Amino acid sequence: MEELFTYTDIFATKGVEYLIIIAFFILIVAFWGLVNMRPQ
Amino acid sequence: MAGEKLDTVAIVEEKDDSPKIKNLSDFWTFLKKELKPRGNIATPFNLISLPIMILGYIFIVYRLAAGLGKPITNLNQDFPWGLWIGFDVVTGVAFAGGAYVLCFVVYILRAEKYHAIIRATVLNGFLAYLFYAGAIVLDIGRWWNIYNPMIGNSFGVNAVMFLVAWHFFLYMLAELVEFSPTIAEWLGMKRLRKILGSLTLGAVVFGICLSTLHQSGLAALMIMAKNKIHPLWYTEFIPILYFVSSIFAGLSMVIFEGSISHKVFGDQIDEAHHKHYDDILVGLARICSVAMFGYFFLKIILLVHEHAVPYLNSPMGYWFLLEIIGFVLVPCFMFAHGAQQRNTSTIKFAAVITMIGIIINRLNYTFIAYNWYVPLSQKYWPAPMELIITASIILTEIWAFRWIVNRMPVLKEPPAWARKLH
Repeated sequence: MEELFTYTDIFATKGVEYLIIIAFFILIVAFWGLVNMRPQ
Repeated sequence: MAGEKLDTVAIVEEKDDSPKIKNLSDFWTFLKKELKPRGNIATPFNLISLPIMILGYIFIVYRLAAGLGKPITNLNQDFPWGLWIGFDVVTGVAFAGGAYVLCFVVYILRAEKYHAIIRATVLNGFLAYLFYAGAIVLDIGRWWNIYNPMIGNSFGVNAVMFLVAWHFFLYMLAELVEFSPTIAEWLGMKRLRKILGSLTLGAVVFGICLSTLHQSGLAALMIMAKNKIHPLWYTEFIPILYFVSSIFAGLSMVIFEGSISHKVFGDQIDEAHHKHYDDILVGLARICSVAMFGYFFLKIILLVHEHAVPYLNSPMGYWFLLEIIGFVLVPCFMFAHGAQQRNTSTIKFAAVITMIGIIINRLNYTFIAYNWYVPLSQKYWPAPMELIITASIILTEIWAFRWIVNRMPVLKEPPAWARKLH
């Protein structure tokens, strides 16, 4: 019976989404620095 | 004597050579003169494009008379959206997005640096809507009823197409008002130029509101096809993806079109503007790279949110990865690198890759990832007539753009009397 259902752990899934958003906010700072860096 | 000489120079510089149109007869005389071709007609571009355009017009008449079926299109009940919707309308509207982004930057954020290219961009946006969105007529089975949502014979307020029709119509009006001061300067109508100039800011605000709504509104069409679009592309947030992608799609088009215009119409542009143009490209590349960076993360979040990660290890998954890495992430870093190093060649190349990526993305929604479970042999492929009609629409738009730029002060400086109004 068990294999007939697919259990989705919504909290784990949301956790991944939050992690992606945190990664985005960290990386956007670094990316902004890269875009505005003065040419060597 | 020196003072007299300087005065003479000032008078010569401000000499008004605008047409003196006082009545309808003057207007017709002026228009007839302007309609005459200028320069050499037998250029390679004209010789190649003219036969394609004529053939396309014949096919358009044939399509309007005979309907949408074969041999004109390969559309059928399984694939109702083809090249005309996917490329002409949905992609064309994304490419026209540069006008609202640049208007926001120039008129709302007051970044005067970009003012030099605003007229060409607004003209490009207006013509894109006129021709590509106008191509929607070809996609409507009963095209003779197209005016119904406008006059209320049958508004069809529950249909997405009602929203699209009114947005397109109002946005075209807004862009025409934004561009109208240039037309008034061309006609030498000083009083009208003053009135139209005062309407610009209102039209810009109205146009930006409409753009944010209809760029995403087009995606509402895709939302209705939940069971037909591949899970890697389908999400209830398609409207947000369409809106965000229209920012860098439109600006890439501005970079691409502007770079060609600077070569083709180089004689109309003054030296200061030529030098300043690299700064403009660098600024646009920065905006593109940041927008693409955000868009890439949006795609990743939605991939997880829609539980579509398992689909990545499949042929459609590889195609999806190629789209978001090869045509989003790679040009994003190319834009960033180009802006940082002030390398305009890299920026222009990134713009071309981005445009190809947008075409792929929009075609994915309309017929590649649409009915993705159908065997390849039964998939939709554009018919030759569809391709020729699309080519003729694009070439007609280029001809219209060239005609206007060669006559109106789009790239060249406005007349002295108009500059005084600022």
